[in-house]
Amino acid sequence: MNCHDVLAALPAAALSDEALWWVEALVRRLIQHAARNAPPSLSQRLEEEWLADLAARHGQMARLRLAIGCCWATRAITREHVAANVPATTSATGNTIMTAYAQHDSSFVSRRTTAVALIVCLHGVLIYFLATGLVHRMAAVIPPLIQIPVTDDAPTRHPPPPPLQPNLAPTRLEVPEPDLTVEVPPDANTIRGPLIEQPPALPPKVLNRVLGGPGKGFPNTADYYPPAAIRMGDKGIASVRVCVDGNGRLSADPTIARSSGSARLDEGAVRLAKAGSGHYRATTEDGRPVSSCFPFLIRFDFRD
Amino acid sequence: MGMSLQTLRVLEAFLENPTDQLSGADVQKASGLASGTLYPILLRLESAGWFVSRWEAINPSSAGRPRRRLYRLTPTGLARASEVFASFGRGVLA
Repeated sequence: MNCHDVLAALPAAALSDEALWWVEALVRRLIQHAARNAPPSLSQRLEEEWLADLAARHGQMARLRLAIGCCWATRAITREHVAANVPATTSATGNTIMTAYAQHDSSFVSRRTTAVALIVCLHGVLIYFLATGLVHRMAAVIPPLIQIPVTDDAPTRHPPPPPLQPNLAPTRLEVPEPDLTVEVPPDANTIRGPLIEQPPALPPKVLNRVLGGPGKGFPNTADYYPPAAIRMGDKGIASVRVCVDGNGRLSADPTIARSSGSARLDEGAVRLAKAGSGHYRATTEDGRPVSSCFPFLIRFDFRD
Repeated sequence: MGMSLQTLRVLEAFLENPTDQLSGADVQKASGLASGTLYPILLRLESAGWFVSRWEAINPSSAGRPRRRLYRLTPTGLARASEVFASFGRGVLA
């Protein structure tokens, strides 16, 4: 096992909690391996020293960096130990040794070449994982957090359905004629007989209305984050109002209901809302999708 | 005498308090160097007589952590390091 193995194992280790234990064991193995490859006179000391310094490190990545650094240190220590091969007591001031090491310091070409090669390999590994679907797996793990449907605005008013017509079949009432004959002047406003009470109108039916919003397959906000806004450090939340038909498609151009404070972000929000046509979750009334207009929030934050 | 910038950063960490004894982790925190660079420098300076090192005087089982290797500037190292920094015209690196 060497440092290259560790670098290759990094992306897999980041995917699961179980990998934390694995990384911890790997770190200790790397340090022990590095110390044992050091000159025999220093091997035991370096192992104990590095493991002690490892205990002072917090965070898996910091500990991993220390272990990888120890691999690197072993190479340098071994090379210098052989190159110098001068007892420390031969010079009271150590000028001889320091001069030798200073000369060695200037010959960094091979180390730089190795470092560049390592960096290139690391980028290659990252590109490989991104190209082979790691990004999709990570996207599936990360919950969508940008699109938040809100209900603070008044919902679109639709005319209530007509109330059910009661059965008002004319009822023939038999009104006995009074025996008393009264001379009444003819008057059109005179009411003859008792009033017939109309049955009360039924109350309007209450609809179970669920407001729509971004649905499955809605585009990722990060893809519509304007690059200029990222460069300028723009962050904010825009409220976009969309009108969506029953199939989740836009029936009108989206508009900014509340600006994010940045024209660039507002433009990106409108583009995102347009791109989401066909991926909206339509408003439902009693489970039946209907056309409606509603606002929803789009948050742009490049730290996400 | 030529000396790498990394070595100067290690010396600078010790010159802040020349009598302090620092572990590799302490020096790394102060200098910001990677461990692959730091430990060879510490051994190099120790071999040259600029540093002395000893094990931390603790009982690991009671302290709950392993003992650290502590480094300290020798009088020679202090004098030489001061000379090096004096040659820069000021006491600290940028």
